Amino acid sequence: MMSGARMVHDLTLLSPELLALFTAAIALACEMLRRPRLALAITVLGLLLAAGLTGPLLLGKDTSVFMGTFRVDALGIWAKLVLLPTTALVAVLAYPEVRGTDREGTVYSLLAFTTLGALVLAAAGDVMFLVLGVLLSSLGSFALVAYPRDVRATEAAMKYFVFGSVSSAVMIFGLTYWFGATGSTLLSSLRVLGDVPLAAVAGLIAVLVGLGYKAAVVPFHFWAPDAYDGAPLAIAAYLSIVPKVGAIFALAQVARNLPAEAVNWRLLLAVLAVASMTYGNLAALVQTNLVRLMAYSSIAQVGYFLLGVVAVGASPLAVQSLVVFAAAYAAMNLGAFAVVARFGRDLEGWAGLGRSAPWTGLAMVIFLLSLVGVPPLGGFFGKLLLFGAAIDSGYAWLAVVAILNSVLSLGVYLRMIVPMYRQPKAAPAAARPLVFVGSVALAFTVAIGIGLQLVVSGLQ
Amino acid sequence: MFPLVTITLFLPLGGALLLLIWRSATPRAAHAVGVLASALTLVGAAGMWLRGAGAGFSQVEQLPWIPSLGVAYRVGVDGISLPLVGLTALLFAASLVFSIRMTERARSYVSLFLLLETACLGVFLSLDLVLFYVFWEVTLVAMYFIIAGWGHADRQRAALMFFIYTLLGSLPLLLAILALYLGSEPHTFDVRALVATPPLTGVAASLAFLGLLVAFAVKMPLFPLHTWLPDAHTEAPTAGSVVLAGVLLKLGTYGLVRLALQMTPDAYHRAAPVVAGFAVFSALYGAFAALGQSDLKRLVAYTSVNHMGYVALGVTAAAAARGAERALALDGAVLQMVSHGIVTGSLFLLVGALEDRAHTREMGAFSGLLRATPAMGWLFVLAAFASLGLPGLAHFPAEFQIFLGTFGVWPAAAAISVAGIAVTAGLYLRAIQRVFFGKLPDRWKLLPDLDARELWAIVPLSALTVAVGVAPAWVLDVIHRAAEAIGR
Repeated sequence: MMSGARMVHDLTLLSPELLALFTAAIALACEMLRRPRLALAITVLGLLLAAGLTGPLLLGKDTSVFMGTFRVDALGIWAKLVLLPTTALVAVLAYPEVRGTDREGTVYSLLAFTTLGALVLAAAGDVMFLVLGVLLSSLGSFALVAYPRDVRATEAAMKYFVFGSVSSAVMIFGLTYWFGATGSTLLSSLRVLGDVPLAAVAGLIAVLVGLGYKAAVVPFHFWAPDAYDGAPLAIAAYLSIVPKVGAIFALAQVARNLPAEAVNWRLLLAVLAVASMTYGNLAALVQTNLVRLMAYSSIAQVGYFLLGVVAVGASPLAVQSLVVFAAAYAAMNLGAFAVVARFGRDLEGWAGLGRSAPWTGLAMVIFLLSLVGVPPLGGFFGKLLLFGAAIDSGYAWLAVVAILNSVLSLGVYLRMIVPMYRQPKAAPAAARPLVFVGSVALAFTVAIGIGLQLVVSGLQ
Repeated sequence: MFPLVTITLFLPLGGALLLLIWRSATPRAAHAVGVLASALTLVGAAGMWLRGAGAGFSQVEQLPWIPSLGVAYRVGVDGISLPLVGLTALLFAASLVFSIRMTERARSYVSLFLLLETACLGVFLSLDLVLFYVFWEVTLVAMYFIIAGWGHADRQRAALMFFIYTLLGSLPLLLAILALYLGSEPHTFDVRALVATPPLTGVAASLAFLGLLVAFAVKMPLFPLHTWLPDAHTEAPTAGSVVLAGVLLKLGTYGLVRLALQMTPDAYHRAAPVVAGFAVFSALYGAFAALGQSDLKRLVAYTSVNHMGYVALGVTAAAAARGAERALALDGAVLQMVSHGIVTGSLFLLVGALEDRAHTREMGAFSGLLRATPAMGWLFVLAAFASLGLPGLAHFPAEFQIFLGTFGVWPAAAAISVAGIAVTAGLYLRAIQRVFFGKLPDRWKLLPDLDARELWAIVPLSALTVAVGVAPAWVLDVIHRAAEAIGR
């Protein structure tokens, strides 16, 4: 049993998560009191404060709490540092969209709850936490997608829900094999799986189904375009970042302990990475609805993410690359969605907007070039490290495929850039929250490279 | 020490940012900022020239950036990069002076040119491969927007082709850079360390070299990766063509020397005969393709393929040769980069000036222009003679050394590529004869000659063409010290 002092110590290390939970609860209480703006303010402040509480953890050594089930390591800490502020910005982005609707405050509260699920995933040291994280982040997401309660949103949420429950069920079922073979739910006990390859494979497939669904990895991605398109735009932005990063980090936590001699999981993940990048980019090439385009683009981006997971345990660059790419991806994707929120979902409506709204246009060009991986933007440094990690762990061919996909993705993003600089026409006015979110995202997209040392120095 | 290199490098970017913020700038004011920023950069480059460069890297300025990954802000020059820095500063100043009458979205136009100038200077000055790659890619983005925004009729397609082609080319470069980084011990992106001890051996070195070769062959361009060039040139605005041919192509050949030759020397040595084959074919192909053009701008564009083929041949001969021939071929190749920048820059400016007046570039449409526009005519004749390699003008000392250096290694390759000179001589003489000699038709009688703005842009380049041709020593000495050091 745990001693009292140990308990206090553990809870201190968990204070950011606890604060996020507390924030969600208070925001909900504000909604009950019909004070939605207060709910927004508390959500933003609470999440930022939680991120602030995470800062000091960077100085400590890697450790874990609750007997190894929940990890306080680079992945867990950086997930908090990236996802908590991202969620705060998403709440601001959602404000103009949901303002004045019934139950407005629940959106903010659900955002905080769902983010908690992603944080649990990213720091999981135990399969029970994997399950908890997937369920926690899924339940909130279903409700967020269905929020507008129109036909599209309901259909989107329904698809998302059915897909989600089946995936979660498969995941829980498959994880019982790991439990059966190791006699423990701890990820750190997975190393004994070397002797029981069949159980290792069954559990791995289950984990890939569950986390692959959360991260929208091909072939578990089918829900994503519909769900993004049916949901409010800010929620689409949210789904494309927060649960995705949480799931990828969770996969990296599993990869740290899974013995490669039991099952060649690196190769399996490499194949999934290739499938995701290639399919996502090809499908994005033919979209005219920009939310669907961004959905496919985020399926492609998760493919690059997987390069970092492939390298876990084989290259010291792996964790650095995952963290840097997560931070860059959060900034550039959120920024791109903020611009879509201003310019509209229809590609045809974008003609000339870059000339009539030059700053927004320039910002969009920067976000999209960063998604391609053009230096000196954030996305480039993320990809540089991801490619480096892949080459370092003997997967040079995967880096080559990823690079070819980057060229392909240029075609995707130029389809948005080129019409912006046609003959000008009046641009829709920008709501102030959009400008704010866009500016913050822009600042991070541009500046991540300059301050990269701050991120990687603690990750040696 | 006074950070002259850094200031020179970021001066144009400062101008660009100023224009970005100064939203009410009139076209006149925008051009004033552009000309001033590029002139100051030229002064800075002149200052760097006066400080000089020895055998190794000098004027180094550095700041820590990402020490955990061995990345730092490191800039400096050696005898290979210093002349190219001067060339870049000169051509950008000339281009911006030439474009001061462009009024269409002048603010964006000038800022993009200034951004491009910083990026080009950055590629030559970087002593860190991450920094190098950052600048390398920014040149691509800036050039894309210049062609797409201010080009001629079919600009969107040409710009897209340029972008995709060169991005496809620059990604193998990224892989090769990562391979060099991961091969070095301790891991570093420092150019000086990687040059001092080439990190890779065997198959890894060959693969890295292949990546570098593809990347630089697209940029140069070398046959068969040249197909983006004619369209990009013909669709780009005049100043864009000047910069594209004068500076951007040099990024490829510079990379071939700095990265391929210096960081994967053994792999380059092994592959040299094959690369030389491509270089010779490329030189001949460029010459014959230029012979088939009736559009003056396309003609000049194709002669670039020819001249860059000679540069590639010179560098490759240096990779294959040992001893004195090595330095000889490398001297020639680097001087050829400078000469080509000056000469082709003035040719594109002259063709642009002609097109601004006549609204056509078809050779067949002109005749006897020397009577109507003598200044333009004689300057064109001078540049054309330089381009075909006439002794006493800029290309001669360069090509002479390239052929001499190559002759020691592959006599046949040298002999075949000299034939290219005969073809270029023929095509230039034909162009001069058609356009400037003969009877002046009535429709061109009132064609105005070059005005002050155009003379200010072109005459300095023409003067340098003669200066480098008559007394190449003042440039060659700088190049030679570095080339000799590489030769060992």
